[in-house]
Amino acid sequence: MIPIRCMSCGKPISAYFKEYQQRIADGEASKAIFEDMKIKRYCCRRMFISHVETWE
Amino acid sequence: MEIEVKENSENEMVFVLNNVDLAFANAIRRIGMMEVPKIAIEYINVIKNDSRMFNEVLAHRLGLVPITSDSEAIESLIPHEECDCEDYCSKCSVSFTLNKTWDDLPKDESKDKDIQRIVYSKDLHSTDSKIKPVFDTIPLVKLKEDQEIELEAIAMIGKGKYHAKWMPTTVCSYKQYPIITFDGEKELSNDVIDACPNNVLKLTKNKKPSAQHLKKNIENCTLCKSCVRASENDAIDVSYEDNKIIFKIETDGSMNPKEVLLRACDVLYDKADKISEQTEEEIKSS
Repeated sequence: MIPIRCMSCGKPISAYFKEYQQRIADGEASKAIFEDMKIKRYCCRRMFISHVETWE
Repeated sequence: MEIEVKENSENEMVFVLNNVDLAFANAIRRIGMMEVPKIAIEYINVIKNDSRMFNEVLAHRLGLVPITSDSEAIESLIPHEECDCEDYCSKCSVSFTLNKTWDDLPKDESKDKDIQRIVYSKDLHSTDSKIKPVFDTIPLVKLKEDQEIELEAIAMIGKGKYHAKWMPTTVCSYKQYPIITFDGEKELSNDVIDACPNNVLKLTKNKKPSAQHLKKNIENCTLCKSCVRASENDAIDVSYEDNKIIFKIETDGSMNPKEVLLRACDVLYDKADKISEQTEEEIKSS
């Protein structure tokens, strides 16, 4: 499961993960989604981009 | 000391402090991160956990969930250190319950197969209507068919110096106010303009640095001096003002940044007050 907070800065990123997944599935680009959700730092962005769901 | 607020939104605040020394700003920064109290889940009592997640991992996840901690919500609680009880009681803690089975949860629409369903932070029910998770959409745990989770979570007031879950701020930092000066007689090349990672510099039509653009964007300068290094003829110089700083506070949503600043000042005031009180007592008794 996605960690609750960004490991580097502590921003609660998991709250946006459901929306991110849905918008990715709809074919939107990651960068546009992050800018829209106001996730500015690359430490938070990598939490989404590099996340692999192993618990299925 | 003057303060000028540049930006103030729900969880981010940027302000410029003028005529202040760095030691003072650093005191505010450190107290803002480490000593402003907020609420977080500290204990959980697991009654049933059929999920594949261990109780310890679940406890850690619950602890990190941000919970509303503004002064209105927090005033009815006292910190555990000041309470008479041993572990926790109704005076120093708020209890949350989480009780879900697979059947209670809605189907995950994004998946084709309906095998796992997710328990979200909105499923945490508080005994106090003012104190609740800030976000409703934080995934906590997944359940399969016939699985059930039942637990009680105890939230308490704490400080960031004991555990990062009690830190109200995600970013709490300052930098010195930049000064960018140009040597008017020398030509500024395009390499210098492009070297800036934050696009602080721009040329006007007659190849002069745009003062208007600089004035608007100077606060984005991080004093990295990439432009100075790219300039071969020393046409540009970057330095900083000694007693002027740009301060940024970003919170995790549990309280607004203005409150973090005000409470950090209160904590600092109390500390100074304690010293002056004790000194006077000490001098009287000797």
